[in-house]
Amino acid sequence: MYAVFHPPNFLAQSAARERQELRKKAFALLEGEAPNETVVAASRAALALGVRAGMSRVQAEAFPGVLTLPRNMDHECAAHTALHAVACTFSPRIESIEEHPGTYALDIHGMNKLFTDTTELATRLYRSIKSAGFLVNVAASENFHTALCLAQGRPGVTIVPHNSEAAALAELPINVLPLTEEQRTTFSTWGIRTCAELAALSEVDLISRMGQAGKKLYSLACGEHPHLMLPIEPDFEADLVERIDLEFPIEELERLLFLLSRMTSSLLDRVCSRALAIGSLRVVLHLDGGKQHEFVVKPALPLQDTPTLLKLLQLDLEIHPPSSAIVIVELQAHSAAPYRAQHGLFMPQTPEPGQTEVMLARLTKLLGEGRVGSPELTDDHRPNSFRLAPFVPPPPRRHEMPKQTTAVALRVCRPPQIVRVMLRDRTPAFVSWNGTAYTVLEASGPERVSGQWWTEISWCREEWDVRLASEADERICRIAYDPRSRCWYAQGTYD
Amino acid sequence: MSRASASAIRTEVESVLARRAPAALTLKIKQAPELFASGIVSADSLLGGGIPRGCITEISGGPSTGKTSFAIASIAAITKAGNACAWVDLSDSFSPEAAAAAGVELRRLLWLRVPAVPKHVGEDKLLSRLELALKTTDLVLQAGGFGAVVLDMSEIRPRQAQRIPLATWYRFRLAAEHARTALISLTHSPCASNCAALTLRCESADTVPFSSNGEMPLFEGQNYQLVRERNRNEGPHLSKMAPSRADWSAQTLWTRAG
Repeated sequence: MYAVFHPPNFLAQSAARERQELRKKAFALLEGEAPNETVVAASRAALALGVRAGMSRVQAEAFPGVLTLPRNMDHECAAHTALHAVACTFSPRIESIEEHPGTYALDIHGMNKLFTDTTELATRLYRSIKSAGFLVNVAASENFHTALCLAQGRPGVTIVPHNSEAAALAELPINVLPLTEEQRTTFSTWGIRTCAELAALSEVDLISRMGQAGKKLYSLACGEHPHLMLPIEPDFEADLVERIDLEFPIEELERLLFLLSRMTSSLLDRVCSRALAIGSLRVVLHLDGGKQHEFVVKPALPLQDTPTLLKLLQLDLEIHPPSSAIVIVELQAHSAAPYRAQHGLFMPQTPEPGQTEVMLARLTKLLGEGRVGSPELTDDHRPNSFRLAPFVPPPPRRHEMPKQTTAVALRVCRPPQIVRVMLRDRTPAFVSWNGTAYTVLEASGPERVSGQWWTEISWCREEWDVRLASEADERICRIAYDPRSRCWYAQGTYD
Repeated sequence: MSRASASAIRTEVESVLARRAPAALTLKIKQAPELFASGIVSADSLLGGGIPRGCITEISGGPSTGKTSFAIASIAAITKAGNACAWVDLSDSFSPEAAAAAGVELRRLLWLRVPAVPKHVGEDKLLSRLELALKTTDLVLQAGGFGAVVLDMSEIRPRQAQRIPLATWYRFRLAAEHARTALISLTHSPCASNCAALTLRCESADTVPFSSNGEMPLFEGQNYQLVRERNRNEGPHLSKMAPSRADWSAQTLWTRAG
């Protein structure tokens, strides 16, 4: 059972409700940038004079005694709040009808225990809204759309008995149905003016002429169109917060993890109840002395696993421990759709997302920041420039034939090592590297490279590929001369 | 003792030990491991298809003998097949540019750069660079899901590599087998002993002169030789028939681009 209340001309009513002096006066509400303002709503007196929505400011002001006002969103918000507050006292499940501002539908199934019967509830609802300062129509029906149409088309309180929807709608004009301009013209041509006339048509013939839209309008006129209610609910994300004010400050990580475990589980329960997962966790630790320690754990894929999340929190806290004792622990979660992937039976194996997150956090702790990830080439002319991106391997693909070409790999010296070079005819002849003397058998170069000359970090060097031979071994290396520091460096070894 | 009675005794012993050691006296049939092709035809034919999965492959050789090029070519083929790989870089000498040029899908590659300075782990434990690399490899293998893990120890001295306890290699072998990961170890000289299922030695082959085309000297490529020293997954017949050496060559980036 649904009860729908509809305040006709809601925008004008909300303006008059906030400004008492406007009551019973002819006024029009304008919207848009001057001088192209248009009328969006007008009071009953103004409508009686001939003011219509869509008129320009000049046209509206041409009517004698009509006051023009700018539309005030604050007034409308206040009116919405008042109506919502009234609706909440009658049902916990309320849906706001977006197409008709100020119109609300209430699911009143089972509310007879509080309000005796539907008539009593509807009457009380009507009185409550009226006392809030609105003229309103209330309709109650087992069919959602029937109640909505009746609230729009019939003044006062209307109660539709069981299985009498079509009869209740019969006298209403078809304008209460959600018609497009084209459909309105079509029905006008056909001479259809009321819902009863529309319901009397043959459904099959109507569908053959108007398609699925005709079927919907037919079922609406018969009071049979189904509806899935989408009640207004509190912001779920804002509710995903856990906070504990500690009586005594804590310093040990184990104690903190004990609290975090409980808080994470609680958050995860709430998230999982909506078939979601935790996309990121923001930890705010209020420290003794007024400081705050804040960090965000954001796994590559949303997780539904408390131990994994807790391990990530632990590893982050071990890498970045708070500077002093903790007095307040706050955990804010962001939900996300859980990771689901359907892998093929014969697809290559990939690391499991949850385990990978923990492994990467452990490796970061072990090796340090900026030492774990996927290499990514940067858009730079500097040889061997790269950055490390988070390791998120793409989904596995089917096998492809590998390419048959092989490249010589360079083993890079990071940082470049200083070498001593002796030149002969401006070509390296001897190289001393790590205490070993090498004779240059062959040399290729110089290759002059430079970049970033427009900034302070400009660089330039002359690179040589050399085949070096010592008593012990022979190797091919890349060495470079930096004219600024006048030093030779070993860039790497081809291996 | 007749064959029937021996079989009966064996069945009885196995049934007694079934709870502690299932099928204690039955020979386990070892299946041939899955192979990852390296993408180098001559090397793959030498290895009977490629690098074995779930085993340790040890590639040793001095500088400029092609072991890094071979490893990168293998990783390129493995990542192209859709597998994730990890490169434990003991000396921080991995070149993403060279890897990308070789065809490695960098998004599927986890690069682990071991810091040069020893690192404190826990309150008083100080780990050397080699220990950090071994611990890192252990973590990656235990996590599982990687097609191949390269432990690059090319820059450390052979004596230092020989000091790696055999227990560590045994653990790696079990972890690699369990995770079905090919663990590729790059070293100056072999150090994994019997734990390595495949032992390869890289050597330089004929020198390609810089000025081979008569113009300005230019380093264009290098010829290498791959020597198969041991392959535990191969039957005795195959190992006798297959050649133990394979020649292969690699080109520099600028030559390939041209």
